[in-house]
Amino acid sequence: MMIRKLVSLLLAISLVLPLAGCWDRRELNELAISVAMGIDKSGSQYQVTVQVVQPGEVAMQKGGSEGMTPVTLYKAEGTTIFEAIRKMTTVSSRKIYAAHLRIIVIGEELAREGIGDALDILSRDYELRSDSFLLIAKGTTAAHTLGILTPLEKIPANKIYESIQTSEKVWAPVISVTLDKFINDIESKGKNPVISGIKVSGSNEKGGSLGNMKTTQPAVSIQNNGLAVFRKDRLIGWLNQEDSKGYNYILNNIVSTVGHVDCPHGGQVALEVIHSEAQIKSSFQNGRPRLAVELRTEQNVGEVKCQIDLTDMQVIRELEQQAEQVLQGILEHLLEVSQKKYKSDFIGFGNALHRSNPGEWRSLKTDWDEIFEDAETDVTVKVKIKRTGTVTNSFMEERE
Amino acid sequence: MDNPNLQASLKVNIESIKSCTNGSDDLIVREFRIGSGRAERDIAILYFDGLTDERSINQFIMEPLMQYGHLQGDRSDSKENHLLDRLKNSVLTVGQIREVDRFEWASDSLMNGSIVVMLDGYLTGLSISMAGWEQRAVSEPTNQTVIRGPKEAFTENITVNTALIRRIIKDPRLTLKNRKIGKVTKTNVSIMYIAGIADEEALKEVNKRLEAIDTDSILESGYIEEFIQEESYTIFPTVQNTERPDSVAASLLEGRIAILIDGTPHVLLVPALFVQFFQAAEDYYQRADISTLIRVLRYFGLFIATLVPSLYIAITTYQQEMLPTQLLISLAAQREGVPFPAFIEALIMEATYEILREAGVRMPRAVGQAVSIVGTLVIGQAAVEAGIISASMIIVVSITAISSYVIPEFDMSIAVRILRFIFMGLAAAFGMFGVFVGMSLLLLHLSNLRSFGVPYMAPVGPINIGDQKDVILRVPHNSMNTRPSMFSKLNPIRQRRARNKGK
Repeated sequence: MMIRKLVSLLLAISLVLPLAGCWDRRELNELAISVAMGIDKSGSQYQVTVQVVQPGEVAMQKGGSEGMTPVTLYKAEGTTIFEAIRKMTTVSSRKIYAAHLRIIVIGEELAREGIGDALDILSRDYELRSDSFLLIAKGTTAAHTLGILTPLEKIPANKIYESIQTSEKVWAPVISVTLDKFINDIESKGKNPVISGIKVSGSNEKGGSLGNMKTTQPAVSIQNNGLAVFRKDRLIGWLNQEDSKGYNYILNNIVSTVGHVDCPHGGQVALEVIHSEAQIKSSFQNGRPRLAVELRTEQNVGEVKCQIDLTDMQVIRELEQQAEQVLQGILEHLLEVSQKKYKSDFIGFGNALHRSNPGEWRSLKTDWDEIFEDAETDVTVKVKIKRTGTVTNSFMEERE
Repeated sequence: MDNPNLQASLKVNIESIKSCTNGSDDLIVREFRIGSGRAERDIAILYFDGLTDERSINQFIMEPLMQYGHLQGDRSDSKENHLLDRLKNSVLTVGQIREVDRFEWASDSLMNGSIVVMLDGYLTGLSISMAGWEQRAVSEPTNQTVIRGPKEAFTENITVNTALIRRIIKDPRLTLKNRKIGKVTKTNVSIMYIAGIADEEALKEVNKRLEAIDTDSILESGYIEEFIQEESYTIFPTVQNTERPDSVAASLLEGRIAILIDGTPHVLLVPALFVQFFQAAEDYYQRADISTLIRVLRYFGLFIATLVPSLYIAITTYQQEMLPTQLLISLAAQREGVPFPAFIEALIMEATYEILREAGVRMPRAVGQAVSIVGTLVIGQAAVEAGIISASMIIVVSITAISSYVIPEFDMSIAVRILRFIFMGLAAAFGMFGVFVGMSLLLLHLSNLRSFGVPYMAPVGPINIGDQKDVILRVPHNSMNTRPSMFSKLNPIRQRRARNKGK
């Protein structure tokens, strides 16, 4: 009796397998693994481009490469992005699998019109990760950017992803902006978002063929280029390299970078920033917001192109002052660009004010952008030079 | 047989015993006369051919009887048994000797390799133990091998086996209790324990369960194991078996109970807990630090052997987002052109491996090479090159197969093999969700088990900090001051705080 009950229970349980199981089962070779998605404007519709990996071409196996490109592009147009993606199955044999999306590229034209609506599906769909990098294709369409093949990394999206990751650690003007960070910035009243830009350089025709990768100097390449400034979800302009640098200094995104200062008697000294710490201090004075930036950096002498005596403390102190002036200039220029040119608080002074004076902020936040324009600013920079490398003076100096 | 007792007539007695054994032709009956004159008597010795040591019979029984038997004894002796007593006390130069007065006992002792001496006119006979049959010598263990440590294993002979243990534990408290189980085979089964260390309750339980066995044959320790194991059904072993006398000795010293069965080199140990199936004898013979590392490795092996195929199936068919992008792409590249779903692929390879393994155990030695060559072809390159199986699946199945043999006890690795298929099914149907539900159920099941009253997961669940010294860690011997507390609370002290630190 007991056994009969047990057996019938087991049978009942085994019925669950075909009933409930397997509904979202997908084998690896049924997936179109997409690593990059581009969104452009096409009339009143969206044009969605997806960069899909051809696994056999990327992971080289014995007798592998048949000379096909490592990735392929699928394009579709639709009133909504969701429709466009589903429509891709009319050209693709497999369903687009977006969980491994590394980058999302948005064409500049669309960005200027506003990307809030376009990003909705990206944050809503469960399959997408919110940690993929958001990028703006500077001066071109996303579709064009994603069509460029790159050397070293077979998958262009990976190339872009990795190069941003590497670059932001050692080169000040570059910063990665993930989807969730961007959405966070949009949501907050006291900061406007920025997004990194990428640029296609070189002649345009060959970029999408394997020929581009068969030379030592590819005709077309993709490059990280400056930051795009937004007001709400609309692109309003670009920061140049110096301003991008300043942005990262203020937002504490610097892990390490290199800059240079002029020597007293001509020539330059390259300084490597090894530590940088910035603080935004907003306060109220006489009913007007006062925005202060304090930056403290530690630097090493990296390269000397002039005749100075590095063993002299006085010289080091002069270099420090020089560096302070350079940084001061960069930061002040950035603040001016922010306040006067773009009239957009993309640095996040508003948020700082919110934290320091929550009471006043409540009355200011609705028209913060206008108030921000006239706010007083104050920049202080402190530089300390720690080390001069493995030699003290340049060997050219020693010779004299 | 009408009368169970021996009669006065020798002829009748011989006929009775012959009919008792259905006239088997290997029953040897040697009749002759001893004594002289008035004291002359008919005497018979009976034994089974091959069960006894023929040379000893000639030397220690026939010779004294024929040479000296006639000197003693007198029909006029008042005491009826006088001659028999004389024979027993001063003629027969043998150790184990016993009087029998029932046919049943006589035939029993014949079966066990004794010889029966019967004297005309007496109602009792003598049963003399003279067992001596061909047997395997003590040799190296075949399943539980060690690099460092004793290299002798039990044999099929129970007396040799008990002697092997007694040679290790030279203490009068080491107790041996015999019983016979099996109505037809009458197999000798011995319980061994150390009085004062083994738990009384567990001992009673073992005796009770052995008592309850009612079967006609016990051919191997597996029979006993299945009769005495816990009632609730489980794929996990709750009785341990070993072929190493040193393992048995160590277990006895921990307060466990050994059950020896005649005819098999496998000795049962109870209670048996989950963690014990991951302890190998060698753990205690080599350095503590390396033993600890190897223990960690074994539990890692358990994890791999149980879960890796199912995790592979779950992740590649449901949760692809858990893979790093590069890995996903290279796995996808390998799967290009593979016609089966990952689950079927895994089933094919696991089944192939299990078939190879089973064939490897059962096949005649002579064809071994042929099977292994074909096997490596199937499980190896050919399947991948033919595009039927992806290379990554081969890797998964191979590492799984090897890992299951890191578990020192074979019984446990069998349980793991069964589990593996259950988990694969769950993974194929429900993905990671299925695997985790399965793991929770497994944990509940394990926590629910008991072995002879001891929680199966002790000392991990219920946790006992003091007993952690021999679970994942194997602390140095000079720190193992107490016996594990889960088996017995009697006499917990193994040693006083170590002063013998070689100073």
